[in-house]
Amino acid sequence: MSDIGKVRLRVPSDIKPGDVVQVRALVIHPMERIERDAQGKIIQKNYNYINKVIVTYLGKSVATFDTTQNVAENPFFTFTFKATSPGQLKVQFLDTTGGRYEGVADIKFS
Amino acid sequence: MTGYRRVSRRTALKTLSALGVAAACGLGPMPPRASAQALGQNESVDDAMKRLFGGKAMKDGAATVKLDVPLIAENGAVVPISVSVDSPMTPTNYVKYIYVVADKNRIPVVTRVTLAPEAGRAFMAATIRLGESGDVRAIVEQSDGSLLAVKREVKVTVGGCGG
Repeated sequence: MSDIGKVRLRVPSDIKPGDVVQVRALVIHPMERIERDAQGKIIQKNYNYINKVIVTYLGKSVATFDTTQNVAENPFFTFTFKATSPGQLKVQFLDTTGGRYEGVADIKFS
Repeated sequence: MTGYRRVSRRTALKTLSALGVAAACGLGPMPPRASAQALGQNESVDDAMKRLFGGKAMKDGAATVKLDVPLIAENGAVVPISVSVDSPMTPTNYVKYIYVVADKNRIPVVTRVTLAPEAGRAFMAATIRLGESGDVRAIVEQSDGSLLAVKREVKVTVGGCGG
């Protein structure tokens, strides 16, 4: 499971100023689901899953996903942002064990 | 030495499980994270709707909200879903939140997306889990506080929610 936290961002290669750009973000994460014992009782423990995804562009928050365990393993999120000037697009994934995974893409105009 | 260690471990486990029961939210959160996990609770969908929206009136959003989810999901563990809303996304009129709720999941709230006008378009997509066949709803809260709801039924061949 050494791959946990690998983030891949997919940004279109051809961006013009003012475009609304669709970005896809993938993170490798187990997203543990609730386990139950033989009696069907929930096993209480701190499940490791991503509960927050923060997207920032030029230091400003564009979209925030608050997620629960209902999100699939190795989750895949898509969002849009309006490209106004060249700069950094950052996606942060936070999980319930304090893990913090980051993906960065440089937005350049062609 | 060994015996002493075993007793202390047991005590520690007991304390831990007591904490979990006290949390009583089905997710076993550690205390500092309780607020972060409040979104997803083990409850019925009606309770979840009441908790999130407090019985506020919802309009049918079929005209502006597009919920895209497969009619038949062969594998409930990975279901692609996307929500896009027809909104100008200006600072005075934009989509603030998009909620995705799966009625039959034991934790009905799947995700809440907070958007800013800088997003340019009210759109989100993600891969989610569905436990069994049932409705999937998208609820959109606009900047003026009005709510729009759409739902679609999804048939799930193999459930994907262990919880």
